[in-house]
Amino acid sequence: MTEGGVQYKRVTGDAVEYEVYARKTRGEPLHQVGSVVAPDDDLAAAYARATYDEERWIEMAIVRKDHVIELWAPGEP
Amino acid sequence: MSEITNLVLSIADNKQLLGLRYAEWATRAPSLEADIAAAAMGLDDLGHSRVLYGCLEPLGDDPRGPDREADPASLCALPYFDEPWVSWGQFVAANAVLDTAFSVMIEACVNGSIEVLQHRLRKMLAEERYHFLHGRSWLRSGIEKGPLDEAWREAIEWFGPPDGDTAALHNKGALSMGPAELRARLEERLETSAPKVAADWKGWDPRRRRTRPGAIDERTFGMLRGLEEKRFAPASAQKQA
Repeated sequence: MTEGGVQYKRVTGDAVEYEVYARKTRGEPLHQVGSVVAPDDDLAAAYARATYDEERWIEMAIVRKDHVIELWAPGEP
Repeated sequence: MSEITNLVLSIADNKQLLGLRYAEWATRAPSLEADIAAAAMGLDDLGHSRVLYGCLEPLGDDPRGPDREADPASLCALPYFDEPWVSWGQFVAANAVLDTAFSVMIEACVNGSIEVLQHRLRKMLAEERYHFLHGRSWLRSGIEKGPLDEAWREAIEWFGPPDGDTAALHNKGALSMGPAELRARLEERLETSAPKVAADWKGWDPRRRRTRPGAIDERTFGMLRGLEEKRFAPASAQKQA
């Protein structure tokens, strides 16, 4: 997106995916409620809150997807 | 009209207009996530304006008169909101600078001596955190200078002259910050210095907290009064009205 000679490049090339986790009560574990794409942690937090705030969560957290260490995946032993 | 109700009405009117202008970008922002954020921030600010209007009566002096139904210049909002924004840069400058300026003033109310403001406005600061993160992040990506300078100018003018009502409220303890402290706090939060602004205090309207005349456009004014909704109402509902 370009306006007045300024290139807004916050969406595609340099954006990364963040997983969004939340829970409603202290007794339940955090579980994944969705994901957002953003170029930095601040914007990802703002987007996660705007997108997934429809329920009464007592806790919400975001994690960069590429920071998750996978132990095994579907189909692997 | 007392100094504090004038200020609270100004925060309310500005947040109402900011919310409407945000909402206008809910399908025009550079990404789907930014669209959703624009809609959510718009809803937040419209909600905040309702809370602020609700503080006027407990403060003992609701200054809103019948002229608010007929005269767009009766609203106490900044020139920045007079017309719909035509560029994303205008959105970002308002989001980063003006929205944060309003939050800094709310912070001064919450930390001041007036109980109803201490209690009712505190939650807004938690919600505004996400507006701030959104605005600051987009600001760091770089926007054109024009809207940014204009937003700073209007924020500093909105804080008021060095010897005006904001300073008086600060001296009385009603606000925890005066104009100089508010400006410094805004600079601190945005991690930048304000551009050099020579405010024309002679032309400053203390009721509307702005130096320029003018008012919001007719369509937005109609929307505020529910006239736009009536245009789309079924004929039977229009007859009843």
